[in-house]
Amino acid sequence: MGRAEYASAVSAVKAMESSLLTQSDMEQLINARTNAEFESLVSAKETENKTLSDVWEMLKSYAPDSSELEILLYRNDFHNLKAVLKAMISGKDPENYVIEPSNVSIDLLKEAFRTKDSDILPDYMRETASEAYELLTGTLDGQLSDSLIDSSALRAMQKSAEEFGGDFMQKYAELITVCADMKTAYRCSKMGKSRAFLETALCGSTALDKESLIRASLGGTDSVISFLEHTQYGEMAQLLKENPAQFEKYCDDMITELAETARLQAFGVEPLIAYYIAKETEIRNLRIILVCRESGADIETITERLRKLYV
Amino acid sequence: MNSMGIALAILGAACASLFAGIGSAKGVGLVGEAAAGVVSVDPNKFSKVLILQLLPGTQGLYGLLTAILMLSRIGIIGGNPAALTTAQGLMFLGAALPIAVVGLFSGIAQGRAAAAGVGITAKKPEHNGKGIIMAAMVETYAILALLVSILLIYNIAI
Repeated sequence: MGRAEYASAVSAVKAMESSLLTQSDMEQLINARTNAEFESLVSAKETENKTLSDVWEMLKSYAPDSSELEILLYRNDFHNLKAVLKAMISGKDPENYVIEPSNVSIDLLKEAFRTKDSDILPDYMRETASEAYELLTGTLDGQLSDSLIDSSALRAMQKSAEEFGGDFMQKYAELITVCADMKTAYRCSKMGKSRAFLETALCGSTALDKESLIRASLGGTDSVISFLEHTQYGEMAQLLKENPAQFEKYCDDMITELAETARLQAFGVEPLIAYYIAKETEIRNLRIILVCRESGADIETITERLRKLYV
Repeated sequence: MNSMGIALAILGAACASLFAGIGSAKGVGLVGEAAAGVVSVDPNKFSKVLILQLLPGTQGLYGLLTAILMLSRIGIIGGNPAALTTAQGLMFLGAALPIAVVGLFSGIAQGRAAAAGVGITAKKPEHNGKGIIMAAMVETYAILALLVSILLIYNIAI
């Protein structure tokens, strides 16, 4: 049984769920004959929460303790850390590369690198910011510093989920980590990356042990696939090898399936997180339809690529 | 006159209204919070969620009814207090306990059930009635407790 202080927030979110795009809305959008028709269909369903930043602000205003939601934006925060770090070093403006919403403002990230004072950043990214800066300025290896930041984001999620979250949050962090680690291990094995690189790039989880994954990756792509096939996420191994697009879809669908478990809860932070995930999936689906339409993909291809809907 | 007897009976009446009232206040408050969340998104659902909010309010009324019946039976209402022995006073205190305890817990439980029902109204307003029925089920136990309290109050020999 969840916490009753979320009663108001959960009810508001349930009321908003009724305006999420449904399967038939998606079919209408796919079948829209012109872009004008597509746009009018989208605007007919549009609510006040048009962007993820709007959704985030709304959820924060409803949640009695918004810090419980912050884990959702850790990946955005760490992505922005990469963007700002690289932009600062190459003397460019990071504005075009950052993702919103985020917990840490871009100005704060810029300030941290400008003053070389990572203490002004939140606990979960302080150490990573210093390490990544040292690594990038010392080695000029952007790939290595990116890998360090990516794996640190996953570790921060796992730590936060363990400290503050219940089973739902821990499962969420695990799924995100498993998907990212699978992709990294496979790609690294393809590129013949060293053990040192893999140590930095992989995060590891209870489902996929880091050391075993490193050993499998060092043995080549077949070794990674055969290792993954014997884990609880075995069915994803062949997708990873044969159809990367379907692998991405499978990962997103697993997160949506997890979100669906929160639908049965009347209280607690989980339904709010589930709504954010649902909205994220909805926006991703709209983007897929738009990109596929522009590239002239047929209806079957678009339908195949669409992510599982929450509603 | 043994003042301990009447004091215990009055304590019983106070418990009935106090604990059943707390149960209702907590229940109604919880549903109110949930209802406010829905109304902030869709103000048209106000009347539907209001019914759900009222449901956990009944325990407080049962506590009040029990207290009035008891105070009337022992003559406090009417200004002519009965001369109760300590044993009789304890009996009245015992008579108040069913609605006091069940009222407290059923009020909170009904509040949770009704708040969850608000979720049904939020998402599928046409199934609002189902949420009401599920929350109303909890009422059964408050009514049973009220019945026992009333039977006891009227059957204690004074």
